[in-house]
Amino acid sequence: MPAWDLKDQAAVSGVGHSPYGKRLNRSTIDLAGEAIRNALDDAGLTRDDLDGLIVSFGTPIGADADTLAYALGLKLRMYNQTWAHGRFTATCIQNAAMAVSAGLANHVACLASVSFSGFRKPMMGGAGDNEGAREGGGGHGEDPVYGMTSPGAGAALVAQKYFHRYGATSRQLASVAVAFRKHAALNPAALMREPITVEDHQNSRYVCEPLHLLDYCQINDGAACVIVSRSDRARDLKKKPVYISGMQGLPAGREEFIWTHPGFGTSQQKVFDYKPDLQPVYQMAGVTQKEMSAFFTYDAFAILVWTALERWGYCKPGEAAAFTQDGRIELGGALPINTNGGLISEAHVMGWNHQVEIVRQLRGECGPRQIANAQLIQWGNAYGDSLIYRKG
Amino acid sequence: MAEYKKPLPAISSLSEPYWTGLKHRDLKLQRCNDCQTLWYPPGPFCPGCWSRTFTWQNLSGRGKVNSWVIFHQAYFSSVKDEIPYNVAEVELEEGPRLLTNLVGIDNADIKIGMPVEIVFDDVTEEVTLAKFRPLGGGSK
Ligand SMILES: [Zn+2]
Repeated sequence: MPAWDLKDQAAVSGVGHSPYGKRLNRSTIDLAGEAIRNALDDAGLTRDDLDGLIVSFGTPIGADADTLAYALGLKLRMYNQTWAHGRFTATCIQNAAMAVSAGLANHVACLASVSFSGFRKPMMGGAGDNEGAREGGGGHGEDPVYGMTSPGAGAALVAQKYFHRYGATSRQLASVAVAFRKHAALNPAALMREPITVEDHQNSRYVCEPLHLLDYCQINDGAACVIVSRSDRARDLKKKPVYISGMQGLPAGREEFIWTHPGFGTSQQKVFDYKPDLQPVYQMAGVTQKEMSAFFTYDAFAILVWTALERWGYCKPGEAAAFTQDGRIELGGALPINTNGGLISEAHVMGWNHQVEIVRQLRGECGPRQIANAQLIQWGNAYGDSLIYRKG
Repeated sequence: MAEYKKPLPAISSLSEPYWTGLKHRDLKLQRCNDCQTLWYPPGPFCPGCWSRTFTWQNLSGRGKVNSWVIFHQAYFSSVKDEIPYNVAEVELEEGPRLLTNLVGIDNADIKIGMPVEIVFDDVTEEVTLAKFRPLGGGSK
């Protein structure tokens, strides 16, 4: 039993985002400001109520916490920022939940604001592969000396091994992109809304083989924001709170490779039959996978949906390929995944757009793509962190 | 030697023996003197037992393909003329895995599990890369 039980102590009180677009030609501070203002409006809060800020993705692609506070005239009691990686969505929300529960702040805006296509230099992949040049190596298995660059290449390495180890195929993987595109078609904010077929996926060009273009996320501009408040304060606000019932941190070490679960055997991981056992996030929330109304995950590349499903015990290693067929992960299926269209078809806002969608689903605000009677939704990633949200 | 335009390694005090080894036709990694763990990439501590005493050990240079990809997109202008090119993850006989390029084989013939051996590629006067080819020599 933890010394301090944070289950349901913090809640999301507001969500908001900027438009998402391929070339918005707007600064990341501008986009962030719009997302924060929309989230505060959604909560029924004002700028003066906001006293905490956590940014998940700053320079060189996003706006930083300190410059945002300066430009937007925020008066903060605390701010924090993770380095420029998409993997920190849950970490930021966990830190906000801890901060409001501990009284370090009343209302914390958590966000990413990104401009991939704007006037900033590319950071990941190619000549700007600062990631691959880090001492100790790139976080996605980059090794530019051998031409191994870009986060997608590490995912392609996992996909190739997955196909070989389990006899799965790219054709089966197509079901992920097809499902998310169907979801995006019901989402006015999504960038890619034209339906696609398995054949379209198979006929799309390879970027890093065996991954096709349609296995890849969007590259775009946009910002999305989540306001985390202490639950008793959130209950007095405009919208019903969405409780943060379970949290699990981001694991690291030699048995971890960002795009898969332990035991898979990529990078320096050992090879063994991974068993998800009882993950702390379920214990904290007091629920099981079976109770989830939906599952959301960081789908920068379609293969991550398979490895995430296996890491979180929705199916055993090797079974995700079959699990994702026949509409099971689509709206109306047994386990809808990424009903916003995901990073693959809505937009790539570092998973913050997924948090916005989760909250709206649990409030019943999703219109034609609403999950009937949504009660509990898990955010769980291939790289091993998670949140469980509960309807207030 | 024609000017080499592709990315070169950032050689640090930690990794210098690795790169010097390649230049002298030795594939060397650190082995812990206390628990015998062999590790990659180079680092100051044994990741197994946290010992700081290790020996740079010569390895066999043989291994097998653990996974591989083909780049169809040129992220660097310097590889524009080489796409589609392969990158493989080779698992050495001794355990650690390295990212590399396979030479002497058509991309279409690459298979997971295929045995490979090291080829030393002197790309500049200072830098030698560890590439691999099918065991027993390539087909081209
Ligand atoms: Zn040791």
